[in-house]
Amino acid sequence: MGPPQDTLFRSADMSLTQLYISNEIGREVVSALGELGVMDFRDLNSQVTAFQRTFTQEIRRLDNVERQLRYFHAQMEKAGIPMRSIYEFSNMMAAPTASEIDELADRSQSLENRISSLNESYETLKKREVELTEWRHVLREAGSFFDRARGQTEEIRNSLDDDDAPLLRDVEQHNGDAQGGDRSFSVMNIGFVAGVIPRERIAAFERILWRTLRGNLYMNQKEVPEPIINPETNEGVSKNVFIIFAHGKEIIAKIRKISESLGAELYSVDENSELRRDQIHEVNSRLNDLTNVLSNTKRTLDAELTAIGRSLAAWMVVIKKEKAVYQTLNKFSYDQARKTLIAEAWCPTNSLGLIKSTLQDVNDRAGLSVPTIVNQIKTSKTPPTYVKTNKFTLGFQTIIDAYGTAKYTEVNPGLPTIVTFPFLFAVMFGDFGHGIIMTLAACAMIYWEKPLSRGKLDELFSMAFFGRYIMLMMGIFSMYTGLIYCDMFSKEVPLFKSMWEWPDEINPNKTMVAHRVDGYVYPFGIDWRWHDTGNDLLFSNSYKMKLSIVMGWAHMTFSLCWSLVNARHFKSPIDIWGNFVPGMIFFQSIFGYLVFAIVYKWSVDWPARGQDPPGLLNMLIYMFLQPGHVEEKLYSGQAGLQIVLLLLAVSCVPILLFLKPFYLRHEHNKARALGYRGIGESTRVSALDDEDEEGNTLNGGRDSFADEEDGVALITQDIGEGDEEHEEFEFSEVMIHQVIHTIEFCLNCVSHTASYLRLWALSLAHQQLSIVLWDMTLNIAFGMSGALGVFAMVCLFYLWFLLTVFVLCVMEGTSAMLHSLRLHWVEAMSKHFMGDGVAFQPFSFKILLEEEPVE
Amino acid sequence: MANGWSLLIGFLFIVAFSAVSWFASPKGENQTVWRSTLILSAWSCYLMWAITFLAQWHPLISPEKIGLRPEHAERMKF
Repeated sequence: MGPPQDTLFRSADMSLTQLYISNEIGREVVSALGELGVMDFRDLNSQVTAFQRTFTQEIRRLDNVERQLRYFHAQMEKAGIPMRSIYEFSNMMAAPTASEIDELADRSQSLENRISSLNESYETLKKREVELTEWRHVLREAGSFFDRARGQTEEIRNSLDDDDAPLLRDVEQHNGDAQGGDRSFSVMNIGFVAGVIPRERIAAFERILWRTLRGNLYMNQKEVPEPIINPETNEGVSKNVFIIFAHGKEIIAKIRKISESLGAELYSVDENSELRRDQIHEVNSRLNDLTNVLSNTKRTLDAELTAIGRSLAAWMVVIKKEKAVYQTLNKFSYDQARKTLIAEAWCPTNSLGLIKSTLQDVNDRAGLSVPTIVNQIKTSKTPPTYVKTNKFTLGFQTIIDAYGTAKYTEVNPGLPTIVTFPFLFAVMFGDFGHGIIMTLAACAMIYWEKPLSRGKLDELFSMAFFGRYIMLMMGIFSMYTGLIYCDMFSKEVPLFKSMWEWPDEINPNKTMVAHRVDGYVYPFGIDWRWHDTGNDLLFSNSYKMKLSIVMGWAHMTFSLCWSLVNARHFKSPIDIWGNFVPGMIFFQSIFGYLVFAIVYKWSVDWPARGQDPPGLLNMLIYMFLQPGHVEEKLYSGQAGLQIVLLLLAVSCVPILLFLKPFYLRHEHNKARALGYRGIGESTRVSALDDEDEEGNTLNGGRDSFADEEDGVALITQDIGEGDEEHEEFEFSEVMIHQVIHTIEFCLNCVSHTASYLRLWALSLAHQQLSIVLWDMTLNIAFGMSGALGVFAMVCLFYLWFLLTVFVLCVMEGTSAMLHSLRLHWVEAMSKHFMGDGVAFQPFSFKILLEEEPVE
Repeated sequence: MANGWSLLIGFLFIVAFSAVSWFASPKGENQTVWRSTLILSAWSCYLMWAITFLAQWHPLISPEKIGLRPEHAERMKF
């Protein structure tokens, strides 16, 4: 028989294993182990920087491939081409060979070149197209300006001759007289510059020109109607066409310089109208050609990207896995002489067989004669905590892990949490109808588990989806507690005959008191006749308060018992006698007694005795304030018993305080007296069971030993660096720790019991809120009649239903869940949870892909 | 119909249920989860039921209501 099966009760047994892997198949072995996902590799090169490690080169290459794949993805997103979903691939898990990876790398390299060259030419063409469009605008605008200006050359001449005349006279003003229109500008030695400039620069442009040329220019501009798209940024820029006339070559050159420095594009325009017409024709035909070429390029690019998109997701997964493999290989140490990789990993002892068979498979496939060796090594290091979960238990375990990682093989509170968490929730949330809604929602999420887990969910919903099984349990228990509370959407659920009857003569104006059916107790839950009575809160408050105390007591006693199980498991009897027993006696003699008194008081028929029932709160208070004095008697001999219990509780405090530290000191002194000294040496880890160091050096020439020696050296070196393990015994430290524990425990017994009263408070609030909601919506509609009544009914029903779901189920549910969470983390887990473990982080492709999903 | 003995009968029923759950839980790696969940649920539910039962066993107050109408009382007789 192997080790016992791993259960949720404790974390799994772990073994530290050492693997000797032949260098040639290192990659395949690690890849196979990644598929298994049960090994947590230790970093044997932690003192080596990331750049000096063995496989940095490979990782860099894969990084490059990954970048290329991301580039394809970005290009596809830009072009709006969908990627084939990762779930459509059938055999994702087939591990690729090294040559396939190489092929993939080469392929993505060539594809990248192709895509980027296509992209480049596309962008050049696009730029060309923009230029031509701009030119066309300039030709058109400038042409119309020339046509208009032709008539006014004479005036321009005049103004040039006359120094005092304003340089620019409004052109429109003198539209009428058009004489000598055929005279060319060149005759007058007037040059011009035409182009386009971004609209926001036009003001600055004008001002600069005006100042530098001292007004010796004539400028005309016009807005281009549609924005011009910049191919590099894909953004539209609105631009203006301008044309500037000036006198003299130097001034023209100056204007050119200024406009270029301001980001304007200049285009040549002929002043002759025929030539201009030819130019426009030419530009148009070139634009046409360009558009054809552009659409061709775009089509090729899209086709290429679509082809890539078909397998891009698979490539991404392959590369991710490959990179993870090399990162893991970097944690191994490499034996130069023997060309072997040495790895160390924690793995569950139960998985060793599976690991060995997997390695054997890999070896066989590679056809290697040298087997991969798996060694279990003995160590004093604390193994990591690994609790195997399934999709049902995962959510509950996450609740526990969120608080802290359990110590290796301590009792895992995740197991009882499966019941206690939803149950305490339900005590606060108890309503049959709300429970049904919650159960249905959880069932729906479980039914559509697969499609939901693949889609993208928003944060709140994905949280609910993650906890769907918790929700299912919460819903079921809420239905149960709802029946116990006899509440369904705040209305009663009359399952059985009531134990109360109204009197036969009924007077609507007087307070009616129900009388009891003799010898009959309502068999299940609270009697429905309490609903809508004047004093139902009086009854239910007393009941729910006591319910909370009893529930809390049961939960805390239950949790405290796990500390006994833990102490037995870790074989430390001092924790039983110094912590568990006095703690338990202390707790039970106060709060166990309170629970006893509650139950006792319930089970006595006080009216039949002709006695007033005593108040339990005062009883508990006077038990401490005036021991031995009982004001209202609950039972005979009460005073004596209370004194005994009080003495028991008080006497437990010094035991709790001193027994453990003094026992530990005694043990320590005994050990020192026997000649043991403080441990200064580092932890010994050895793969050699029966050989000592001396024997090893003697047999140093033997092959097998050199290897193992290497391994041993490595481990000790590694451990020497920073792990604590054996601490010096320090009495004061132990004492302080125990003092804190004692004070905390005793105070917590009181405060935690009181804390369970939240069960009452929350359930009261939930019930009252649902009553108010009913009264404010549906109850109003029931009071109306006729067509208005029908209309109001429909509207108010929707309102009621929406508020029930969102306020009562979602909001109230969240708050009850948080309170239940607190009761577990603080009230229950403080009783036994040690939680100083290290989480097990296996190297697993599955986890890797879950953490960084390929979308 | 229901009196003080119900508590004991309920207790025995839950003990029997726990025993059955312990032995009838499906074998395999989830056996522990089945056992713990079934037994713990049964005891939690029993505890809740028993507390409610106890609270109504010897009630100290009776329901009171103002404005009770005769037809209301009839309807509520069940």
